[in-house]
Amino acid sequence: MAGKTDLARQVLFLRHSQMLINERYKRGDFKIPLHLGLGHEAIAVAVDAVMQGGDQIICSHRNMHYVLARGKNLKAELDEYYLKREGLAKGELGSMNLADEAHGIPYSSSILGNNISVGAGLALAKRVAGKNNVIIVQSGDGAIEEGSFYESLLFLKSQNLCCMVLVENNGYSLGTHITERRCDINLRSITSGLGIHYERFSGNDVFAYVQRLRELRDYCIKTRTPVCVEVMLTTLGSWYLTNDQNPHGKFVNYHSGPAPTVQMNEWPILLMNDDDPVFALTTHINKDTLVRESKDILARLQEESA
Amino acid sequence: MNYISFVNELVRKKVVEQERVVLFGQNIDAGSCLSGLTRNLHVKPASMIINSPNSENTLCGVGFGLMMGGVNSIFFMKQLDFLLLGIDHLVNTYNFIRRKDPKASFTIMPCIVDGGYQGLQSSFNNLGDICSLARIRGFTVTNKVDAERIINAELLSPGFRIIGVSIRLFKEELIEPGLVFASPDNAVFQYTQGNDATIVCFNLSFPYGHELCRKMGEKGLTASLFSVNTATPTNWERIIEDVKRTGRLVIIDDSKSENLSCHALLCEAQKNCQVRKHVMVTKDMSGDWLSPSHDQLEIRYDEIIDKLL
Repeated sequence: MAGKTDLARQVLFLRHSQMLINERYKRGDFKIPLHLGLGHEAIAVAVDAVMQGGDQIICSHRNMHYVLARGKNLKAELDEYYLKREGLAKGELGSMNLADEAHGIPYSSSILGNNISVGAGLALAKRVAGKNNVIIVQSGDGAIEEGSFYESLLFLKSQNLCCMVLVENNGYSLGTHITERRCDINLRSITSGLGIHYERFSGNDVFAYVQRLRELRDYCIKTRTPVCVEVMLTTLGSWYLTNDQNPHGKFVNYHSGPAPTVQMNEWPILLMNDDDPVFALTTHINKDTLVRESKDILARLQEESA
Repeated sequence: MNYISFVNELVRKKVVEQERVVLFGQNIDAGSCLSGLTRNLHVKPASMIINSPNSENTLCGVGFGLMMGGVNSIFFMKQLDFLLLGIDHLVNTYNFIRRKDPKASFTIMPCIVDGGYQGLQSSFNNLGDICSLARIRGFTVTNKVDAERIINAELLSPGFRIIGVSIRLFKEELIEPGLVFASPDNAVFQYTQGNDATIVCFNLSFPYGHELCRKMGEKGLTASLFSVNTATPTNWERIIEDVKRTGRLVIIDDSKSENLSCHALLCEAQKNCQVRKHVMVTKDMSGDWLSPSHDQLEIRYDEIIDKLL
């Protein structure tokens, strides 16, 4: 089992890796669109920590944090984004469909809601093969607006498949906030209507996430049932655009594309509250220790990715 | 034996041989079992038969997920137009998985609405339309010979494909033609070899071509009868060689699509040989094609024969 420092190092590894990617993105290195997961690190690290041999995660288009958490190899991921033969998928997948089967990511989908049914099929394959594993599906608040989200939950529950559906709720679909595009969706009520257990995670406490996800994984397997976890988070790096049309600044949630205001820093904190998983670490671990670990991780990553 | 009983028998024999297969779809093990297509299916203990919810998009994704997980599956579908709800997976998910040379099999087996009594849904009767979205291998089944070869070779072989059956033919007596040639990819079948015309049938129009061949025989004429059972790129060579010999080409296509693969054959034939006479029999879409009707191709066989001669 990973210790607290190991988990903290993982969070910092994800943060620094994404910030290094962002630096290259800002200078226009990539021809493909990337979706940064700054602020999504805690859940990705927790998922990685609880996955057992044979478990698999099916990702969405915003999969960078999970691919890094599972593979722990920034260079291979960068090479993939550069579409090099040395890349994680030999430069054949790019970012939105990036999979890493060797590390339990057999599929990622660029289409909202598409991956849940594929996850259902994988969970059914585990059942048919007599394997006690969990399939984890990473989704988002945009995908729960798709009919396929409901259909897939229905199938998962009808077949009582061991599947954990994670809904990363960052409030945005492209540049549109939930309040601008739709009525509220009570996910607890929807899942409850299907007899699926629901939980909400918030606060970016990676240690609490690991503990509860581990319990939910066991629950999935013992009771042969799907569960749904809504993870409240903030995609960090949004900024205010100021131009002739917006002299007072317009808030921009950048969806894909670089985060122009995010700068490299040995201590990569972006917000001084629990919306930032790096800040959330300081509740559990002495800041000086974290800063020391952070410098060490950054130095190693800079050397590896040079 | 009628058409659907024979197809059902072939499917039953194939699936019961499998150590591990998942059969799924709406009503496949209940009620009429899709009008007989899935009647009396039996599988070995490690396999499953699932009467699924009405969730076509998800069911397509489930099939691809099973495939990624190394488990063979068949999704039986009551009507081809239901597959429109799963198009995302046919393009995006399939394009992901096909890169990896999958070891497991996933087949979607829809009933093509080629009788007009379903009304508005009947306008989508061309299997090739959906196959062309992502160059999906697709096969239509029209008689004893193509049913045997396609279902035995393709139903559970590694990879993904769509095998469509004709609702119009369900209760019809099974046609049992002879076989002169079948291409290794089961795309082109030749049933007779003749000297007076080359007849090529597309989509589900084989019975019309078979009848034309028979009528020609009554007049002492012989024809080469082909059926093109797939919409993905076809090797026309054998058909072109036959047209070079007969000099007369009859094309029959019952599709209502604007996107007919028979046009590709006609271009190839015009480019490569002297076509002295040709007749195109396609759907007349100038009338009311939206209201429920019998929806058969109106073919005046004697006029075609007169035109050829």
